[in-house]
Amino acid sequence: MATQVHDDPGARALRADRRAELMLGALVLGVLGFVLLLIVFVFREAWPSFANNGLLWFANGDDFDREIEEIFMSANLLQEPVYDFRAWPILWSTIVITTLSVVISFIAALFVSVFVVEFAPEWMRRILEPVIRLLASVPSVILGLLGVLILVPFIGEQLITDDQRREVSYVVSLSGYSLLAGVLILSLMIAPLMIAVFVDGLRSVPRGWLEGALGLGVNRWRTFWKIGVRTARPALVAGTVLATARAIGESIMLAMVCGGVGFAPNPADGLIFFLEPAKPIPAAILQASEELTSPPMRDTIFAMASILLFSSLVLSLAGWAVKQPMKKYGVRS
Amino acid sequence: MGFLSPPPVRKLPLAGEDTARVVEPNGNGASSFVSSGRRAVASTSLAVDRMQVEELSIAYGSKLAVDSVSLPIRQGEVLALIGPSGCGKTTLLRSLNRLTELTKTASLKGRITLDGDDTATFEPTSLRRRVTMVFQQPNPFPMSVFDNVAFVLREQASRRPRKRELKGAVEDALRRAGLWDEVKHDLAHPALRLSGGQQQRLCIARALAANPEVLLLDEPCSALDPQSTQVIEDLIVQLREEVAVVIVTHNLQQAYRIADYVAFMYLGELVEYGPAEQVFGAPKQERTREYVSGAFG
Repeated sequence: MATQVHDDPGARALRADRRAELMLGALVLGVLGFVLLLIVFVFREAWPSFANNGLLWFANGDDFDREIEEIFMSANLLQEPVYDFRAWPILWSTIVITTLSVVISFIAALFVSVFVVEFAPEWMRRILEPVIRLLASVPSVILGLLGVLILVPFIGEQLITDDQRREVSYVVSLSGYSLLAGVLILSLMIAPLMIAVFVDGLRSVPRGWLEGALGLGVNRWRTFWKIGVRTARPALVAGTVLATARAIGESIMLAMVCGGVGFAPNPADGLIFFLEPAKPIPAAILQASEELTSPPMRDTIFAMASILLFSSLVLSLAGWAVKQPMKKYGVRS
Repeated sequence: MGFLSPPPVRKLPLAGEDTARVVEPNGNGASSFVSSGRRAVASTSLAVDRMQVEELSIAYGSKLAVDSVSLPIRQGEVLALIGPSGCGKTTLLRSLNRLTELTKTASLKGRITLDGDDTATFEPTSLRRRVTMVFQQPNPFPMSVFDNVAFVLREQASRRPRKRELKGAVEDALRRAGLWDEVKHDLAHPALRLSGGQQQRLCIARALAANPEVLLLDEPCSALDPQSTQVIEDLIVQLREEVAVVIVTHNLQQAYRIADYVAFMYLGELVEYGPAEQVFGAPKQERTREYVSGAFG
């Protein structure tokens, strides 16, 4: 009986199928388990910092960098560990830098990808697409270097006037390491990623829909705008979510060009707002990571990390939610 | 495609007739579905010259797709372009509203006039509003039924019209396409959830919403079931009073059922042009005779 089963090719194929199914299932479960463990671990490690500060954790403090210093030092003294931490400057920096650069690169990427797919001549398209894909994979540290060597000195020497320096000198010193540098380079970094995803999405819009609109006397631009971009919205959302995730998590480049000062840029300062230094969460984690040996510091760092983790979770959910109303009219992702 | 045992041909009511008739095939082999009782072409007083194709040649690169074709397109008549695959009939149809220009390699010689004006002098968009196109595959946009029809109207308006103002025009277009009764209760219904036949009628409604002078149909029924085909054929025959209708079809019986005039094309040439009665019943050219009797294609 056993040999019979063994020889039957149908049964063999079935068993191979089942084996593949089991293996893939186990892999998926393993990955899921790992992600879950990661989340639980990070939030557990982060808990002391949240518990000691309460909701004040999210508030604005006097001096972010001194808080970090005190938390770090408290482990070395024979005293109760210090947990006092006000994360607002890094939260605010992250929000501002991410939002601005996502908005800037979304607008740029949308127009570039529409141009590449629909309007660029063939030879230009053949050059542009590989270049864009290459740009999307440039390591961020290289962009950071370019920022430090070119953009930051330019901002420091050309854009910031002495008057502006004097105006805010009582809170922060303007050096060129700034929000503006971070936003510009981050936009440059995530735009190619968006363009690559957008181009794929726009290209897969059925020709029939576009021709249908053209055949009714709608011009090319309006056709592409109203039908093409509309149909490709799931891809636009996917690209934006992907790019936002990369922007939120970017550490090394932002640590290099934003100044690394725990300061919340103040919109009330007008245009100087953009020239003020900032410190987004990932950069803060990067700069504090040498101090992991100190237990209270370690918990504080995990607390910052848990915020990042949480925001990426929210981001995926938001991307999913935005796509829902589109499904109704048959736009598939 | 042969007609050795042709199905009954349902004759649509033409102008002046009240009811449809079913004509039994006589089973005499070649061109048997041509019944002697087919009504003569609608009275010529109705037909108005709308477009004129003069010595039109179209080439893709060096390949000639349409070879010096001349024919008139009249309102009040349905003109069917027939011929085997690759004979240039779809290219000819697309050239009528300059959709051929979307193909970069296409080049065009000759003249096409719309109401006496050379179409080459038109803005492509304004030409395509007067000469609208319905495609082989139903291609409603991924929007609601209402928005599909309103799309063109909104694009044409200089400022964005309110939904209320568009309602009348949308209803009118849907009525003319015979879809109104089926969708009137749910105009917010996603267009892509309609059945294939309804989708194609929606596309016709969309094409009619712009109030065109000429309606081009590129094998509008090839993706549809017989019942939907029937509905759309009825519709086309009704529409010819208001717009000039040009239809490309592979289906000879369909051409016979609905066309007043038929143009038979072969390898880019216009082999024969004449009243449907004559092309199907007594073709002058040998190649036409072979084709309509199902010898090739």
